[in-house]
Amino acid sequence: MTATATPLSRRQGTLSGARLREAGWGYVFVLVPMAVFGLFFLYPFAYAIYISFFHWGILGKQPGTGSIGWQNYHDVLHDSVFHTAIKNTLEYAAGVLPLEMALGLLMALVVNQGIRGKTFWRAAFYFPSIASSVAMINIALYLAASDGLINRALGTSTPWFSTASTATWAIVVLNAWTTSGTVMIFYLAALQSIPGDVYEAAAVDNTGTWRTFRRITFPLLRPAHFFVLVVFGIGALRVFDQQFLASGGSGGPNNSTQTAMLYIYREAFQAYDFGRAAAAGTMIFIGIFGLTLIQTLTVGRRQNY
Amino acid sequence: MASVAAEQPYIPRRARSETVRMVLVYAVLVLIAALFFIPFFYTVITSFKTLPDSVNFSLIPHPWTTQAWHEVWTQYSFETYIKNSLFLAVVVTAFNMFLGGLGGYAFARLRFPGRGVLFLIVLGTLMIPDQLRLIPVFVMLTNWHLIASFKGYILINLVTATNLFFMRQYFLTIPKDFEEAAKLDGAGHFKTFWRVMLPLALPAIAALTILQFQGTWNDFFWPLILFGQGTPHLYTVQLGLAEFKLTYQTNWPDLMAGSVIAVLPILAIFVFFQRYFIGGQISAGVKG
Repeated sequence: MTATATPLSRRQGTLSGARLREAGWGYVFVLVPMAVFGLFFLYPFAYAIYISFFHWGILGKQPGTGSIGWQNYHDVLHDSVFHTAIKNTLEYAAGVLPLEMALGLLMALVVNQGIRGKTFWRAAFYFPSIASSVAMINIALYLAASDGLINRALGTSTPWFSTASTATWAIVVLNAWTTSGTVMIFYLAALQSIPGDVYEAAAVDNTGTWRTFRRITFPLLRPAHFFVLVVFGIGALRVFDQQFLASGGSGGPNNSTQTAMLYIYREAFQAYDFGRAAAAGTMIFIGIFGLTLIQTLTVGRRQNY
Repeated sequence: MASVAAEQPYIPRRARSETVRMVLVYAVLVLIAALFFIPFFYTVITSFKTLPDSVNFSLIPHPWTTQAWHEVWTQYSFETYIKNSLFLAVVVTAFNMFLGGLGGYAFARLRFPGRGVLFLIVLGTLMIPDQLRLIPVFVMLTNWHLIASFKGYILINLVTATNLFFMRQYFLTIPKDFEEAAKLDGAGHFKTFWRVMLPLALPAIAALTILQFQGTWNDFFWPLILFGQGTPHLYTVQLGLAEFKLTYQTNWPDLMAGSVIAVLPILAIFVFFQRYFIGGQISAGVKG
């Protein structure tokens, strides 16, 4: 409070008027955001687990019944559709992640060269990332229809999105197209933060382009690899819109477009079993948390230099 | 490679490999751009075709018609969908800008007991996925009679941890001198935030605004959950387009026209504010 306040005296008078006011305003400023996070993230976290232990329909807890223990978990774990949904989601993630990372990195590398019209190329590559998933799946369904452009070009007549053996991979290609632009932006930022003298040293040593990339650029991008892997990995495990629209919400044909998210959706809004949906959601959350932890401990731990 | 360069003594090896490299770079650029854009060209072309013509491989509509556009606009409720999407996108973006900025400023600059723990909670929410939130949030909104209402959608999207974190990171880069000058002028904490810090954070605000607007405009999942159960007057563009697709499976010209409508507003924003799309989201991510 006094005009001669030094850092030391400020520390001693922790609750002086100005500090108190500052703290008060601090709480006021974060009040609404914290309420939103508490109410729609933290509380649902606990509430989902609670719901998963009950017979819970569209109208809520079944009156007069208590907890049914692990029944919902047992049911979900013994549901072959759930197994298929998890398998499809993991296959999708395993397919789309390397593809979008490779494509995103390639695009970042080429637009980071001394080329003309840098802004144009970046915008062109980023453009598919701004379009909505619904518009993009519509376009893809049109192109991949049995009498569509792709089949005409290949001389085949496979409806790629509604054939059990190809549906997941068609969505992998579609989403690599619509996400690699965003991946490019993250790689671009990382490329530009690599100091120039690293490359000058390589030039002095007369290292070739490919060797420079493999030995210098790629390893230096490790933080970006990690970031993209975690963020887009979590995104890939949430995949829903494309499968929902390609199958009309059914997950077909032959459960080939079932995903973890679509399974939860169908349990809740088609079977009206919120208890089982919550149990599936809880288990999937544990799975995602575990996978992220593994990524952090393996790829993430060596990123300090 | 070394032997080839040796036969050409007048062109330094480095310059030759440089030329080869640039040719390769341009080849990759053109190839990817072509692959990315042919589908979009084809989409626009199809929206000007007739239904029988839409399954033809031709790049020129025969006959050329605006029938699909006319149908989409008059026979289906795209006008309502657009109004709904615009309303939600504007309101959600405004709340995120204000609350994200306010919270971000507090976490970046104001000192209060428990700040560290609260900030960890903010980051922790990033780890709670929709797979887990879907059921409890739906049950809560049902109990509060906020299903099938814009209020419910806005409420759960008032502010995201990503936006708050992004604003905090930006405020941390602004020198403290500006606030100290404001304090000397006798400005309170809110006035300092509103009059001094928020204008200084304009690049971050712009990036947040554009990305959040895009996110809400393109959102399909939560509108499906909250408005998908028989309330077509609340449909957003994406929900309306999805319903349209599921009803009229292969009416390609109309479907393509609808898809173009769903992308057009974002495309317009993208063209004008391109640098914020491509520059803005970086700093909170990799560099952060």
